[in-house]
Amino acid sequence: MADRTILHIDGVSKAFGGVQALYRVGFRVAKGHIQAVIGPNGAGKTTLFNVITGATCPDEGRIVLEGMEIQGRPMHELVARGIARTFQNVELFASLTVLENVLVGRHVRTRCGLVGAMVRWPWVEREERGARDAAMELLGFVGLEEVAHKMSGDLPFGWQRLVEIARALASDPRLLLLDEPAAGLNAVETAALADLIQKIRSRGITVVLVEHDMNLTMDISDRIVVLDRGRKLAEGTPREIQADEAVMEAYLGRKG
Amino acid sequence: MTGKRRLWATTAFAGAIAVASMAVSNAYHQQLLTVIGIHTLLALGLNMLMGYAGQISLGHAAFYGLGAYGTGILTTHYGWSPWAAFPLVLVAAGAVAYVIGRPTLKLSGYYLAMGTLGLGIIGHVIFREWDSMTGGASGMVGIPPLQVGGTVLSLGRSGMILVWVVVLMAFFFCDRLVDSRIGRALRALGDSQGAAAACGVDTGRLKAVIFSFSAVLTALAGFLYAHLVGFISPSSFDFLMSIRMVTMVVIGGMASIYGSLFGASVITLLPEWLHVFSDYEMMVYGLVLMLVMIFLPQGLTRGVLDALEGVKSES
Amino acid sequence: MSEIVQYLMSGLTAGAIYAVIALGYTLLYNATELVNFAQGEFVMLGSLGLFTFLSVLGWPLWAAFPAVTLVVGLLGVVLERLAIRPVKKPEPITLIIITVGASIFLRGLAMLLWGKDPHSVPGFAAAAPIRVLGAAIMPQSLWILAVVGLLMGGLHLFSKHTLTGKAMEACAIHRSGAWILGIPSDRMAQLAFAMSAALGGIGGIIISPITMAGYDMGTMLGLKGFCAAMLGGLGSHWGAVVGGLLLGVLESLGVGFFSSGIKDAIAFLLLLAILMARPSGLLGPKAVTRF
Repeated sequence: MADRTILHIDGVSKAFGGVQALYRVGFRVAKGHIQAVIGPNGAGKTTLFNVITGATCPDEGRIVLEGMEIQGRPMHELVARGIARTFQNVELFASLTVLENVLVGRHVRTRCGLVGAMVRWPWVEREERGARDAAMELLGFVGLEEVAHKMSGDLPFGWQRLVEIARALASDPRLLLLDEPAAGLNAVETAALADLIQKIRSRGITVVLVEHDMNLTMDISDRIVVLDRGRKLAEGTPREIQADEAVMEAYLGRKG
Repeated sequence: MTGKRRLWATTAFAGAIAVASMAVSNAYHQQLLTVIGIHTLLALGLNMLMGYAGQISLGHAAFYGLGAYGTGILTTHYGWSPWAAFPLVLVAAGAVAYVIGRPTLKLSGYYLAMGTLGLGIIGHVIFREWDSMTGGASGMVGIPPLQVGGTVLSLGRSGMILVWVVVLMAFFFCDRLVDSRIGRALRALGDSQGAAAACGVDTGRLKAVIFSFSAVLTALAGFLYAHLVGFISPSSFDFLMSIRMVTMVVIGGMASIYGSLFGASVITLLPEWLHVFSDYEMMVYGLVLMLVMIFLPQGLTRGVLDALEGVKSES
Repeated sequence: MSEIVQYLMSGLTAGAIYAVIALGYTLLYNATELVNFAQGEFVMLGSLGLFTFLSVLGWPLWAAFPAVTLVVGLLGVVLERLAIRPVKKPEPITLIIITVGASIFLRGLAMLLWGKDPHSVPGFAAAAPIRVLGAAIMPQSLWILAVVGLLMGGLHLFSKHTLTGKAMEACAIHRSGAWILGIPSDRMAQLAFAMSAALGGIGGIIISPITMAGYDMGTMLGLKGFCAAMLGGLGSHWGAVVGGLLLGVLESLGVGFFSSGIKDAIAFLLLLAILMARPSGLLGPKAVTRF
């Protein structure tokens, strides 16, 4: 098990003022799995997400990515190490085209600097072409090649979410974190998203998703972690979770 | 801008320079155009910082002065050739900017503004007080003109052509910069700092890099100014000069490379046409800065263009 | 010995003024998260205003002092109403440009109204220096220290023992939270602008007998006040005072032991050092918003 672990959350706590957002939460994510983190509002999902991606530093505990402790590391370093994320509310760069958005995702895999950008050495031109090919391939992967040159702000919301996923994939991540990817999508779009997530996994990328949508998580996840008020309530396969009385009572039951 | 459009714009601009350099023979007009060119470089340099990194420097006159006094001191006191001084002053400006930018740019926008405000004041104090090197308040005279081959480039037709060729090159390279990995990261930064960081952009470092670049362009303008005019004094590099630069950017429009030309022209020509202007200069700049930022935060040209586009798409 | 006392005393005097200006920044920052680049111009207006009331209109000091404070405070409100509140997207760069615009507008206006030459303002009390430990202490210095001490005490009482003061602190801690609780954050911002401008004005009033009053005095004093606020930790009242006094003393010692030319450089070098080493200041909370 240990060698198959890509991400190990080990006893992580985080408090904001008097609010204990996370309390000694720990679990492992296995390589190649789709792992979901669920829980009611205020369960600490977003905090957990921010702690893993380097947006906040945990008060205690370790976050281990492939054997290396990464808590408190700056975000850009984590992206270079293979963690990519999307945002709950979709944060595309509105003044950039769709293709350019995905190219920004390629930032850590390219190295042209200020001088290179102005002089355009042959290697810079090659790198740029390579990045464009990769970005177009990813847009094809999410099915949005035709709108590559549109301004990203002009797309419908569901497409914007796909662009954001393509942008995250452009950094060649080994671990992709999706923050409520189904939020704001209709049933058809959600089903397509489920397919897409499975296709991402089959590219060898481990996926962690924080999600509200129970259908999506139960359908596609290999394992599920349930958070409630900052603590881990349960962990297991979707079937185990559905059979877990504590979860049903605390989470599903309470939700009605 | 795509490669093709960039080529067209550059060619058209080069053509305009060629025509102007032949057509303008009045010495006063040549001088005016030279100053506009230098101011365009200043506006462009600051715009790269303000428009693309969303940060502001209130002390860019210090970099302008560093370029001018740096080359002035090296060429007159130490007998250097201007071409030897050239790389040194540019590197010095970039380095000073990086040292100030690296710590302050990790913080919110107020800190770079305050830090550079201080830098501008200290720069002005040094230019004014360091008598033995800078000539103090009365300034430095006898800075040698630039020479290429056997041709002396001085204030007049040759100087005007030199400045505008430099402006042309600066436009060309800045345009390329904006359309590159670095430029995309910069524009991304302007849209959403959080998302840019999540894409792996080291935002603090990138902002410091663009601040340095902006300082280098500004020092380049100072270098040209010193060698073309041959005389520099501290009053050209004071706080008001820094404010003039900010006003040029605000008038020309944020993140608009060619807007710099417009902003620089307005700020250069206004005092020439309105002789009473100097008494009201500060009040006018103050009003322009406040009004434009309240009503058209993208800058005057951008704001007006956007408004026109809005009218067009509605009708 | 007497020399050091002399330097300390003049340092504390200047420092007390920096502290008042720094308090202005702190107060405003706490209530609105805004750094007002026109703060120094309120100081200038305080000085020139006092000159006008005393020397031109012939008012007595006891009437001119509060009148000028009131006028400058009102100007702060006007600035907030006309230039800050209409801003739709209050990003730092926008607010910086606006307040810088206000700053040089006020400066240009002052140049037209009062001219380019500085004006001298009479001291608040007898001009004969008092001898303490061999050092000559100007009565004005004692006045300044007394005024600043009173202000500090008053502010402390205001923020800890009045409802409005507590509401203002609440805004500082959590703006939208305070709004939800029914604290009118708009009115708080306006009050903060008034108080911060008035503090700047008071700084200008008490400094004017020492430095003379001129239209271009504001930028440097504003910068030093900001440096003092940063030194103590932007947002902390006591930090502002400690920062101000520290800056004043360091400056005065620097001038005494090195040369007067470096006086203005000290504040700037300190500012840079703080920005690099400890942006939260000496007394400020550890966390400073990155981004």
